[in-house]
Order: sequence, then C-alpha cells, then structure tokens
Amino acid sequence: MQPGDRVHVDRGEQSYDGVLLPSSTDDHLVIKLDSGYNVGIDREAADVDVREEDVYDIEGAQAEESESEITFDEDLPTISLISTGGTIASTVDYRTGAVTAQFDAEDVLRAVPELAGLANYRGRVVANILSENMTPDVWQDLAEAIHEEIQAGADGVVVMHGTDTMQFSASAMAFMLETPVPVVFTGSQRSADRPSSDNVMNAVCAVEAAKSDAAEVMICMHADGSDETCALHRGTRARKNHTSRRDAFETVGAEPLGEVVYEDREVSFRQDYRERGEADLALAVDLETEVELVKFTPGTDPAVLEAYDDKAGIVLEGTGLGHVNTDWIEYVDDLISDGTHVVMTSQCLEGRVCDRVYDTGRDLLEAGVIEGEDMLPGTAKVKLMWALANAEDVAETIGTELAGEIQDRSVPWT
Amino acid sequence: MTEQFDYDDLGLVAGLEIHQQLDTATKLFCACPTELREPEESTRRLTRYLHPTRSELGELDEAALEESRVEREFEYLAYDSTCLVEEDDEPPHRVDDEAMTVALEIAQLLDMEPVDQVHPMRKLVIDGSNTSGFQRTMLVAGDGEIETDEGPVGVEDLMLEEESAQRVEETDSGVRYSLDRLGIPLVEIGTDPDIRSPEQAREAAERIGMLLRSTGKVKRGLGTIRQDVNVSIAEGARVELKGVQSLDDIDDIVRNEVRRQVELLEIAAELDEREAAVGEPRDVTDVFEDTDSGVIQSALTSGGVVRAVRLKGFDGLVGREIQPDRRLGTEFSDHAKRHGAGGIFHTDELPAYGVTEAEVEALREAVDAREARSASDSASGDEPRAGDAVAIVADDPETAELAIEAVAERAETALEGVPEETRDANEDATSRYLRPLPGAARMYPETDVPPVEPDASEVETPELLTEKVDRYQAEFDLDAGLAEQVAYGEDMPLFERVVEAGVDPTLAADTVESTLTALRRDAVPVENLTDEHIEDALLLVENGGVPNEGLEDLLTALAENPSLSAEEAVEQEDLGGVAEDEVREAVVEVVERNAEQVEEEGMGAFSGLMGECMGALRGKADGDLVSDVLREEIQKRA
Repeated sequence: MQPGDRVHVDRGEQSYDGVLLPSSTDDHLVIKLDSGYNVGIDREAADVDVREEDVYDIEGAQAEESESEITFDEDLPTISLISTGGTIASTVDYRTGAVTAQFDAEDVLRAVPELAGLANYRGRVVANILSENMTPDVWQDLAEAIHEEIQAGADGVVVMHGTDTMQFSASAMAFMLETPVPVVFTGSQRSADRPSSDNVMNAVCAVEAAKSDAAEVMICMHADGSDETCALHRGTRARKNHTSRRDAFETVGAEPLGEVVYEDREVSFRQDYRERGEADLALAVDLETEVELVKFTPGTDPAVLEAYDDKAGIVLEGTGLGHVNTDWIEYVDDLISDGTHVVMTSQCLEGRVCDRVYDTGRDLLEAGVIEGEDMLPGTAKVKLMWALANAEDVAETIGTELAGEIQDRSVPWT
Repeated sequence: MTEQFDYDDLGLVAGLEIHQQLDTATKLFCACPTELREPEESTRRLTRYLHPTRSELGELDEAALEESRVEREFEYLAYDSTCLVEEDDEPPHRVDDEAMTVALEIAQLLDMEPVDQVHPMRKLVIDGSNTSGFQRTMLVAGDGEIETDEGPVGVEDLMLEEESAQRVEETDSGVRYSLDRLGIPLVEIGTDPDIRSPEQAREAAERIGMLLRSTGKVKRGLGTIRQDVNVSIAEGARVELKGVQSLDDIDDIVRNEVRRQVELLEIAAELDEREAAVGEPRDVTDVFEDTDSGVIQSALTSGGVVRAVRLKGFDGLVGREIQPDRRLGTEFSDHAKRHGAGGIFHTDELPAYGVTEAEVEALREAVDAREARSASDSASGDEPRAGDAVAIVADDPETAELAIEAVAERAETALEGVPEETRDANEDATSRYLRPLPGAARMYPETDVPPVEPDASEVETPELLTEKVDRYQAEFDLDAGLAEQVAYGEDMPLFERVVEAGVDPTLAADTVESTLTALRRDAVPVENLTDEHIEDALLLVENGGVPNEGLEDLLTALAENPSLSAEEAVEQEDLGGVAEDEVREAVVEVVERNAEQVEEEGMGAFSGLMGECMGALRGKADGDLVSDVLREEIQKRA
C-alpha cells in the first residue's frame, strides 16, 4: 500500500473508495474520496484493499506538462528573476501537509503568466528555503548571484524571497552591493497555491519596479489590503509589521520610497533615489557573522551579555532613547573593553537614539556604546556585520549613511 | 402543464443537496458574530483579483475555468463585525467547536456515521464569493438514511462548510460582495440518488428541513436554507438545479426538469432523423445595415456586429417549448448571455422585433439556410425536407463572437440530447443554464486548519419537531394547529424557554404566534424586541405584576424603547396591576352608583357593570380579579 494507490477501505459498517494520500499518519489513513474530499480513517480499525496501484503520481501532479513560453523581445528590458524560496514560490507538501517552497524561477514564471510580455527574463535559483532558514552565507551567495546577473546584462533584478526575513536580506544586499540597476525584493503573504495569492500582483509590480530608474535595493509588497497598489520600500528602512496582512511591510520613519499601481503598471517615486547607471557595479560580500542583536526588557538578566563576551559586535535594542537597566552598564563596559563593538538602537523603532539626555545614556556613551541613529535594530545588525568586515573605522561607518539606512533629518511624515 | 409522466418508465433519478446556515455564536473559522449587516453599515472596502490555480491533482476544474475566462475585479465590503480572516488577510482559526457539535447532532438525526478524522478542504470557487478563492468545507459524516412514504432515502454525506460572501451588486468592473455572511457555518446534506418521484423529492426535503430545525441551532428566514436538486432520466443526463428557495417548489421543479429532458430527447431524435448539423458562425452585419430593429440598430451604432450560425435541419425546433414558456431557443440564449450578450434572435421567431421578412430572407441567403419544403411543394419532383434555422447575436465584436460560439456549441449538444450541466432555479419552477457541472478536481487540503477528530459521544439527540407537536398537545393542552405553529415556528426556542421559566403555555403560545403578529401588523417595531424583553414581559404577566390586558401595551412600549427593561417599561407606561383593595374600592363605587339596578336585576346587572368597572380601572386590573370582586359585591347587595 503506497500513496497514490486506489484503495477500498472497510471500517466498521462504513466503506470508503479513493486514493491513499501521503499525508497519512501512524494513526490515520488519509484517503481522497472520489468526491474530492479527504477523510482520515482510523488505521487500526481499517481494512484496506488496494484496488489499483499508483493511480496518481502525487509528486508529479505538481509539475506541469507544458513549458512556459519564453521568447526574447529586443524592445524589452531584461530582468533577472532570482528565487530563494518562500511563499511566493510555494506549494503544498504532502508529507507534512504544510506549505513549502518547491519552485524555481522558471516555475514562478509559469505560475505567474501575467509576467509574460513585461520583460525578457533570466532565471536562477540561489536557494530553496523558507526565509526563517536564511543565513548570512546565503546572503553572500545571493549578492554574488545578483552581481553576476547584472554583469551578464540584467537591466534589473527581482529577488523572490520569503517575507519573514526579507528586510534583513534586502539590507544585506544594500550594504554589499553597489548597483547600477534596481534590485527589487518581493514575496507573498498568501501562498501561491490559492487564487487569492498576492504573488501575482507583487511579482508584476516588482518587475515594473526593476525596470524603473531607481537603482536601489527595494522591497515591493502590497501597499494596503486591496490589489491596487504596491509600495516600494527602501530595503534598509523596511520592516514586516504584521504577521499575516498583505500590507505587512512598512517603511519605518518615512513614507515609502515609491509605489506601483497594478492596473496601469505605473511606477512613481516620492523621494530622491540613486538613478539607474549612477553607481558602478561593485561587490563587498565579506561579513563578520559573530554579531548578535540583544533586546533589553525589564528583568532581562545581564548574563545574556556575558554569554556574548566573545562576539565581535552586539546591537542592543534598548528602551526609549536608547537605554538599558543601569546594572547593565558595567557589563557593557566590560564587553567594549574586551573589543566588542556595541551599537545602541531603540525598540521604539520610530525615532532617533539619543544617549545624551539621561544619565544612563551618558554612562553608556562613556562606556563606548555607538549610537545607531534612527536605524532599525535589524538593519543595524546587518550593517554592523558588514562594517566589521569592511570598514576601517567601525564607529564612524555605523554613524554614516551608506544605503538609506540612516535619515539625517527626522522629518515628521504622519 | 397537462402532461402526466410515468416517472418509473422514464427512469427518474433524483437527489437533494440541502444547504442550511447554522445559528452559532461565532463563525466557522474566526470569532466574528454570525450577524448579517446592511451594506451602508460597512466600514472598509477592498478590491481584489482572483487567479485560478492548479488543484491538488494538477487538473483545472472546467467550471472554475469558465468562471475565470473573464478577469474580474471584486470589491468587498467589510464591517466592524468582520475581521482579517474574512478579508483573507489572516489564516483561519481552528474549526469552531459549536458548529462541529451542531453538525454532529444533525448527523445523528440523519442516522449518519461521523468519519474518524475530519479534513478541512478548499473547494475552488473563483467567482469572487470567497475572498480566498476557495470555500473551506469538510466531510463530517456519511451513510445516513431518512424515511419517506415512498421508501427510505439514503443520506450520502454531511459537510460542514463556510458560507460565501453575499453578492451586493454588479459594478462597472466586476462584482461587489459583502463580507458579513462569509464564514457563517453551513451544513450541506447530500442524499443518495434514491428519489423516484417529484412528490418524494419534496417529502424528503421537508423531512430533512424538519430534522434540521429540530436542533434549534439553525438560522431561519429568507436565504438561510437553499436546496439544490439533481435530476436525471434514463436517457437524459444529470442536471444540478441550484438555489431552490422554497420547499413548495421542489416537486414542480423536478417535474419541469423531467419534461425538459423528455423534450430535449425528442428534439434530438427529430434532429437525428433530419440529419441536422451546426454550421460555422459567420458575420452577417451587412444584412442588417438599414435595419429597423432597435436591438440590432443600437448594437451596430456603437460599433457592434451581427454574427449568425446556420442550424441545419433545426427549423421549427428552436421555437419548441421545453418548459413552461421556455424554448430550445431560450437555452441558446442563456448560453449567449453567459458570455455577455443580451440574448439571441432565431428564425423560428422572426420576422419580429423590428426584423423584416426581407431581412430574414437575406439572412437565410447569407448563411445558405434553406426553407422547409413540404410534400405539396415537392410535387415538382424535389424531395420534401426539413428547413434550416438561423440564430443571430448582435453585440460588440468580441462578445458577439463568444456568444455565437456558445450558441453553436449548445446547438451541437442538442443533437446529442441532454447536456450535463448546472442550472439556476427560476421563481416559476423552471430553470436556466448556469455553468458546466463542477468536477471533483476542485478540492485540495486546507493546510492552515488541522484535522479534527469529532467526538460524537457528548452530542445530545434533540427532540424532533414532530415530537414537540405531540408533546405540546399532551403536556400543555395546546390545540393541534397551535402546537404545530409553535413547534415549527421561529420562536419555538423562546416558547420553550418562557414555559420553562413558568409562563402559562397557552399565554406563551398565543403571544409568540398571535400577539406579536398582530403588533407587527399594527406597525409596532417588534423586531426590536429581544428574547429577554418577551420573557420578562410574560413573567410579569404570569406573576401578576401586569394584567393580561396590559401585555400588548407593554410589548409595544418595549419595541418602541428597546433600551428599557420590562420593569422600567411598566413603570414608565404605568401598566402595573392594581392591587385587590384598590380594585374593590373601584368596584364598590361602581356598584353603589348603580345601586338601583343591582337591587332590581341582581346578577343580571353583572355584564353591564363589569364593563364600567374595567373602564374605571382603565384596563390596568386583571379581568378575572375584577370579575370575582364584582360578583362578591353584587351578591352582598342582592
């Protein structure tokens, strides 16, 4: 008895006819009935008779028989689609019953036929992972892949990425790459296997953004709950601020950089951006991975700092203007004395760190803490990893805007 | 319709699918109330598109494909009583316990066996009525049976599913839906194809309806129950008739469908004899360049075209009636309408609608359609032959092309007989084409909701409505008519509750069945009354706080001022009962004022004075009490 077999099951006075599914567990056989419904049948009480073996190729049923038609049009720009996995390229996994990523970039093109005719596409797969499994070495692979694609003539790059850690990867690309073309991250909050998935609109808008004039690392996701507009967020200032909504991503501390209207495919920008061709393509992929992000909340044991005493860098997510409990200061002092770089950010997320207002802050500065300005804590972590591996003066680099991660002026926008 | 069919001979096979909304506190997959709202109350609007996907087994459903051919924008109205789950912006919560319990109760009443493990599924629905693009549904139980006079009818399956969003209106770009209804728990009950006559179909539906209502946990009122009927005859085909609103129509709708299938089979036989065929659609705009037909003219002036299809050998059959006031041509027209056209014209009904004889002739010529030749015409030596028919569509070029293709396709199937399809029930118990039959491939697992192992051991068996009718008569002394009215009425749970609380059953029954109806007729806003209002009011009457006669005034006051409690309303309206000494005082006054009459007539004066006493007490005293006191006072003096 194998998944895909047509079976007849007797269970007490009931009988069921259907196809055995791989989602069966030790306790229950899961049968797809001819009506299309799945039911679980108590394995012990069931008397199974295999009627026909291998009626359905369960794995193969996912794949499509037809190839997507990719034709080259000289009048269209070339966009490179890079897949790293995630919901935008995901489908149902029958072993676990959950949604996992299984598609490569070409599958995405097949899954999103609306992309046809917008550009010529190059596709490649850098990883096939859910974004919670993303690691700095995949960032490095991704940066190299993007670099290669741009060298090979891509007029823009779209990175398909899980939404959970998209902002970290986008920040990493922003620090590692000098790009003369747009690099646009997109994903989806509703899996691609449902008709209401936001993947179609996000992918279409991302391609449009990748064709635009803004040579920035951006995140392109729904601007609100409707399928009308995608917001373009600067990768270093974006944050996933909702667990499930389509418009989970927000630019923190400013309006989004721009937007794409789905219906007429119009791309517009609200703020200055680096123009296409302005920068020369360059790559600096080195990262110091011994960096941690530590959040202080009332009662947090300063021992967490001791556990990190061999780290090269620590980003603190402090309270308010950038504080931790006074008792922490000596631990912070010790870390810094031992050569660890400590950057202060705020769990307020909105606003600038200022450790000169209260005594605690002044003591932290005294101890050598670097103020993270108005950087998002996550972005500051990525930047510290990059700065430790690439900058001569880490403190100065942290305080200097490199990729839109710091806003020199705090301009009220709401 | 006068024809009588022998349904056994025809091999009638019918089954029912009954959809019933449950009256649970919260929705099936979120904690929102199961409350309907007015579109004006909406607080948010969103627009979405749906994109069809591959189903679990890699096939695309034909019905879903047809729905998706036109890309449409959907607009959704959200409320302060809906949440992100309805907006498809939050994963569904776990299956609502209460809904599962009610479903299991219903399974028990239908003599069904629950499955070991219920797997929530996604059924592809891309007409926009579900924000997700699918309806969540799960098979809860199978293998049941109900009794009818003509024998048992098997109950194949019981599904627990989410109700779809309510369609509000068509907009310029698509359809507007309201999210209030989306997610209300719904049970779908499918019978086996055991039904053999229209009457049995109706009886089975009535029986299932009675069992559902016996739970006291189903919603009542328009649109809360919908019946679909599957009908086929031996030589015909399975046709799903959707959305029969009234139980009373079920037998008629089955009769009409049988007739339709019989007629279509006869037409097919006739077409076969005539060696009929369907031609390639052609453009015949030229024929109608100077037409007086308003419909065609307006299509042409806005850049439209006229497309025609020659229906070889169809002459006379397109106009043949197959259901009351519906012809084969109406079926063609339904298909054309599905593709956006306003309808069709065909030669069996022309000249008419401003189309002239000359235009019909030119039309026939343009598509090589021959006139019929009768035996007398053929004296010249030509064989008699059946004529051809022509169907035309006038519309914008794209619509006209799609629509005439659809007409040609439907005409092709007329050669074969009865097509399998889904039809929409009309109000007059006829039906019209809706879409192809849905396939089984449109189902895939709802991976966001873990399977549920139903526990039927705790489920109670409710008293059936039929049993209630008997008990109300035996226990409460209600007459048969009133007992049935109460048991089957919407206020049955309220009735039982107030009787349980100590209210006299006759008073309770009269109140829920007559008093409220009478007040509604007098334009009292009784819909404002809560169950608490009614229960408290009845208890006040029962306990003597308010006389019987004051009940209507009390309910009226509460309906007009629903924020009041019953006691506050009594106070405010001064409806309180009058104590015995006050009654006696008033009665004595009346008796003394009429001392002469009392002396002369004795008890004979009773009825006249009773009216006077009640008047003096302004209806605030209990009639029985007044009558007792008055009788005593008269006796004292007589």
